[in-house]
Amino acid sequence: MTAELPGERPRKAAGSELAGLLAKVARGDEAAFAGVYDHFAGVVYGLVRRVVRDPAQSEEVTQEVLLEVWRTASRFDPSQGSARSWLMTLAHRRAVDRVRSAQATAKREARAAVTAADYDVVVEEVETRLDAQRVRRCLESLTELQRESVTLAYYGGYTYREVAALLGVAVGTVKTRMRDGLIRLRDCLGTDS
Amino acid sequence: MRLRRTDPHTLAGAYALDALGEADREKFERHLLGCEACRAEAASLRDAAGWLAEPAAAVPPPRLRGQVLAEAARIRQRPPPVRVTGRARRSWHGVGWRAPRLAVAIAGAGMLLALALGTLLIDTQHQLRVQEAHSGEIAAIMNAPDADIMTVRAQPHGSATVVMSHAARALVLTTARLPALPSTECYQVWLMGTHRTKSAGRLPPPKQGMTAPMIVAGLAAGDRMGVTVEPTAGAASPSSPPVLMLALPSD
Repeated sequence: MTAELPGERPRKAAGSELAGLLAKVARGDEAAFAGVYDHFAGVVYGLVRRVVRDPAQSEEVTQEVLLEVWRTASRFDPSQGSARSWLMTLAHRRAVDRVRSAQATAKREARAAVTAADYDVVVEEVETRLDAQRVRRCLESLTELQRESVTLAYYGGYTYREVAALLGVAVGTVKTRMRDGLIRLRDCLGTDS
Repeated sequence: MRLRRTDPHTLAGAYALDALGEADREKFERHLLGCEACRAEAASLRDAAGWLAEPAAAVPPPRLRGQVLAEAARIRQRPPPVRVTGRARRSWHGVGWRAPRLAVAIAGAGMLLALALGTLLIDTQHQLRVQEAHSGEIAAIMNAPDADIMTVRAQPHGSATVVMSHAARALVLTTARLPALPSTECYQVWLMGTHRTKSAGRLPPPKQGMTAPMIVAGLAAGDRMGVTVEPTAGAASPSSPPVLMLALPSD
């Protein structure tokens, strides 16, 4: 499965290219938009799929995200963060919005039980991808509670209150662990390149 | 033990993971507005969180590419934000007012604009009756054979519509949906030429978001018209970046 992923080269390089592509997309350059698709559709779709689960809905949300990129590329502001961060924020928010909408509520209850276990499956899939390996290594440097708090929120689309309930710890603890975990992840990704 | 009210800083992680409920998120975003260090931290944590998508990457259904590209070709893109005030601020201290070029929509939208102006004139008919001389001048400018009609966007929102007669060296200005001002401030209109900047007076207070037609006379070739926010009493020279600016066409 991993062998066919679009955009095998390290995402870090692709990420800085993305800003250039977005500038062209903002001017209506359809070829540049195809370039954005080829570099990032895999990671957007994978993330959405991880959060939303249902393949048909995931495809829909992925399409929404990419069309949002097309529509709003002119609104990307490099002073507010990297192009990659902009795109992944868009994708994650859309995915999370989808699972938090009322109709999805019922299905989410059932998911809670499997989410934590899925983390290992995710890790298995990424062996050949450099950035994925890097992220995995950095995730391992978090404490267990930090890692669980971060991954349940990010991959599971749960609020911190829900995460606290799932883990059976105080809400305040989860908040702190999320922040500490991301700080550690950020510092690890920044130094380990 | 009850949880003490916690420092909003600690929400930065949950915010970056989109793990805040709506109310919490709004609260945190309000906090971010007033805290630059927090914005920087939130952005860096968001960036880190975004990398978590890497291990999840998967192959999308092959048909998706064609669908997305075909759909994009049918969707109009949003225009970029136009930062008139930001750019004007830099040239503000220079000699004169080196205006950024503003998009001036002429002619094409002429019909609509004329209709809008017509409506405005009807709305303000009472005032016009009171000020017949004034309305005569407005009518003269608007009906001048060489009248140009222009509209310009204001920052952060609203617009101004101008009908200008080169022969009369005058224009009629109306505005719509400019941000409401506190009673201590007003909008002041300026004419900026290469050698002088002069006040053209204050905009009348808005009614239903629109200001009644105002005459700006004594135009010189190459003038630009700008509107700034000033103290209610008016200012001798512009003291803030313009909310809108229009390069007047020379005939």
